[in-house]
Amino acid sequence: MDYQIEEEAGFVVEDVSTIIKESVEATIGGNAYQHNRVNQWTTSIVEQCLSQLSKLGKPFKYIITCVIMQKNGAGMQTASTCFWDNSTDGSCTVRWENKSVYCIVSVFGLAI
Amino acid sequence: MSDKEKQQRKEKRVVKVPSNGRGKDTTGRTKDSISTVSYIDELGHHDDNARLAPTMENTYQMGPYKRFPANAATDILKDVLTSYLQEEKYEVEWSQKMTKTLCEVIRARVKELMIPRYKIVILVHIGQLTGQSMQISSRCLWDASNDTFASYSFKNSSLFGMATVYAVYFE
Repeated sequence: MDYQIEEEAGFVVEDVSTIIKESVEATIGGNAYQHNRVNQWTTSIVEQCLSQLSKLGKPFKYIITCVIMQKNGAGMQTASTCFWDNSTDGSCTVRWENKSVYCIVSVFGLAI
Repeated sequence: MSDKEKQQRKEKRVVKVPSNGRGKDTTGRTKDSISTVSYIDELGHHDDNARLAPTMENTYQMGPYKRFPANAATDILKDVLTSYLQEEKYEVEWSQKMTKTLCEVIRARVKELMIPRYKIVILVHIGQLTGQSMQISSRCLWDASNDTFASYSFKNSSLFGMATVYAVYFE
């Protein structure tokens, strides 16, 4: 028997995407690509997202991936595939770009 | 796992630019940046599925009987990436298909390991090497004693390929 209070099950994409966008804007906002800072940027984006997501208080495990790439005319493809329970788990990917940087953040939420 | 559970385990493929119309994309624009959000949406079934999430019975199992072998997973990734990408050159359509193919192949091989009660997430990145710089990082909020990941990156003269597999224990 499960005595948990009835709460919204499933992964809510809008909340998560808002959190990601805010965190990316706050970290790299209007900055140009700088090689010596990019490590710090990815770490900060991912950690901010993670702490905001854990504040949501939902019974989820999260996996967050961030790719920051310099705009150089190069092409890149990313794909992901998951083996999980569709009714409770979900993912959200945000692609963000400015004049010199591409940033792709993916969040996967897996229900406990 | 209890016999009385009815678990819906489905395989889902997520692609960055949805080509079969099942993914959803919304774009937002601010002063000097553009952002796009993509996610998978179950057409029309989303609400039903969310409410019918199965209630599980207790299994009284404290932890996984069989841990996910990260070394075996790294070997699989190395094997798959090297064999598929060794002599290839970066081309747009080819690499779009190749990332999806690699994802499917890796998922099939990891499932063959038959580790029960683990959910799997696989990420594959293929990119062109033109002297640009990039950084890929990830963080996870999970149970470090049960959950793990494995990753491998491959490079040849014109492209790089990176694959990561995350294994999350389902309590």
